[in-house]
Amino acid sequence: MTTTPRNVLPKGVSANDFEQALAQIRAIVGAEYVVAEDTALAPYNKIMMAVPDEQHAPSAAVMPDSVEQIQAIMKVLNQHRIPVYPISTGKNLGYGSAAPVERGQLVMDLRRMNRILDVDAELCTALVEPGVTYQQLYDYLQEKKLPLWFSCPAPSVIAGPLGNMVDRGVGYTPYGEHFLFSSGMEVVLADGEVLRTGMGSMPGSNTWQVFKWGYGPTLDGIFTQSNYGIVTKMGMWLMPAPPDYRPFLIQYPEDTDITKIVDALRPLRIAMVIPNAVVIAHTLWEAPCTKVNRADYHPGPGAISDEAVQKIRKDHNLGAWNVYAALYGTPETNAANWKIIEQVAAATGGTLITDSTEQGGRATQYRFDLMKGKPNLGEFDLYNWRGGGGSMWFAPVSQAKGSETLKQMQLAKGILAKYGFDYVGEFIVGWRDMHHVIDLLYDRSDAEQMKKAHACFDELLQAFAREGYGVYRANTAFAEKVAATYGPVKRDVERRLKRALDPNNIIAPGRCGISI
Amino acid sequence: MQSNKIRILVASLALSCAHIALAADPPAEGRDRTYAKVCSFCHDKGVGPAILGRALPAAYIENVVRHGFRAMPSFRSSEIDNTALASVARWVSQSPASKASTASPASPAPSAAPATKAQ
Ligand SMILES: Cc1cc2nc3c(=O)[nH]c(=O)nc-3n(C[C@H](O)[C@H](O)[C@H](O)COP(=O)(O)OP(=O)(O)OC[C@H]3O[C@@H](n4cnc5c(N)ncnc54)[C@H](O)[C@@H]3O)c2cc1C
Repeated sequence: MTTTPRNVLPKGVSANDFEQALAQIRAIVGAEYVVAEDTALAPYNKIMMAVPDEQHAPSAAVMPDSVEQIQAIMKVLNQHRIPVYPISTGKNLGYGSAAPVERGQLVMDLRRMNRILDVDAELCTALVEPGVTYQQLYDYLQEKKLPLWFSCPAPSVIAGPLGNMVDRGVGYTPYGEHFLFSSGMEVVLADGEVLRTGMGSMPGSNTWQVFKWGYGPTLDGIFTQSNYGIVTKMGMWLMPAPPDYRPFLIQYPEDTDITKIVDALRPLRIAMVIPNAVVIAHTLWEAPCTKVNRADYHPGPGAISDEAVQKIRKDHNLGAWNVYAALYGTPETNAANWKIIEQVAAATGGTLITDSTEQGGRATQYRFDLMKGKPNLGEFDLYNWRGGGGSMWFAPVSQAKGSETLKQMQLAKGILAKYGFDYVGEFIVGWRDMHHVIDLLYDRSDAEQMKKAHACFDELLQAFAREGYGVYRANTAFAEKVAATYGPVKRDVERRLKRALDPNNIIAPGRCGISI
Repeated sequence: MQSNKIRILVASLALSCAHIALAADPPAEGRDRTYAKVCSFCHDKGVGPAILGRALPAAYIENVVRHGFRAMPSFRSSEIDNTALASVARWVSQSPASKASTASPASPAPSAAPATKAQ
């Protein structure tokens, strides 16, 4: 027991009760895997969102190493009604990082559970625990000389497949829609029961990682962007490394070119001539990742001007829009499809670049690596644009139609400029949808900018919702407001599920706006 | 396990925590393993400031790793345990500037060490 009074307690839990619970939890996992002092909790409270750290301060953190330990911990938490916030690799940067959705929740850090349990090289599947990072999986496949690729998000060196998938993250290979390419989950429910989804429910089944649906309702979806359970294993599909990989970049000179780009690429994407999640990145996403210094073009306050953006394009050979995609196949199939790419680029007035080192810059290199699932951290260059470590992703979903994209871009750009922020955006093309991902970059050490960033995010959310545009994912500070944009019926069903599965409301209440 | 399958089951030789996983990684050419597997991806690539060859105090490095600094994420003991942290901090502190580095020698200087509640 500690003698210093605690600053942060879970909502509605007395200090005495909390100490008792911590003692019980220490007995389960070992004292060194429970953290409850303010300074030791610092890594769990580093956030990029435009709200005070205190709003997301954890009361403690526990690092279990097995499903059995998690089950035992859930009993203690139920007994004391202590809310718990599970994280896997805990790098949900710009969406809430490793901090709990509500102040006082106890973080359950699953990073120590980092076993790669199975890789089936014939079926191209893997089964991983929450703490496995993409870099670890990459090294594993390299070491075993297995010609298998996975899809990863940009912060892949330090993030992991399970945490990314449960927040329905995206990557850049043909398997870029990560939840779609997951197959089978193991989940510890609030009462400690262990559920395996899909075929995993059946004793002796060997099809858990190959057939996602099982019998009856497919439950996997309810354990993503939710708080109905603690996911302890995830199956995922791996892609056979193609004999020939041809990444490319097509640059376009004008903002308005986005309409013809999307309309020209959509058929190729839907028909899977281009099989991967195409990225259409705006100048100001490329600029920081090419080491352009913002102050050289815009020394003053406020949003950068269109003229300055034009000048950046000219000085650094960047497109207004920069399209990244790749062909994956045999030399023969790629040669045939390459002709189509050349024709489309020529017909739409784009400049085709294939050599990342000679013609493309730094940005091209990390993109070409990401499209083959090679982990890196190149995209962190975004944070050198404004400095100060403030970032919130505003990520509305768009139809893959040219007219929609331009409308969304202009709407966002106008609102961002009103608050003095730049449009740093990209479109990630699914099959028929696009994730329009905008990084609201601001200086978090500047109180004024922090206030503006918060108000700006709020206005973006409301303005887009008025147009019928919803976000695909959101930071924890805005969870409640985002959930409200999706209407009351969905929320009511979510609440009923919560009551049924977690009657004491102990797993991450408030996550994605779900609570009792 | 079926014999006609190239199936790799590693559960039995499972790596049970982060620093052991790092220890199992391929040799890092004389570099500290944590540096090679985490830090270098930003600090050797000019994404974050160069940190080698600056004799940054080990305690400062440990503090920044645990608290994060501006856009640099914080790292928990579940990712880099205290032993691995002490080792990487010492190694970074004593290392000469990296030749392979494309990093810029920009700040932060040690004087900019974040307070406990750094943003
Ligand atoms: C520069 C930059 C670029 C980025 N690019 C991308 C990108 O390309 N694609 C992308 O998707 N994201 C991107 N991100 C956002 C984010 O960093 C990644 O999505 C990252 O993979 C999420 O962190 P994680 O994998 O460590 O998951 P975690 O942080 O471990 O998990 C995310 C959330 O899921 C829930 N959760 C985690 N584990 C469990 C569990 N076991 N049971 C129940 N719930 C759980 C928690 O609510 C947790 O907060 C980017 C961030 C930055 C800074």
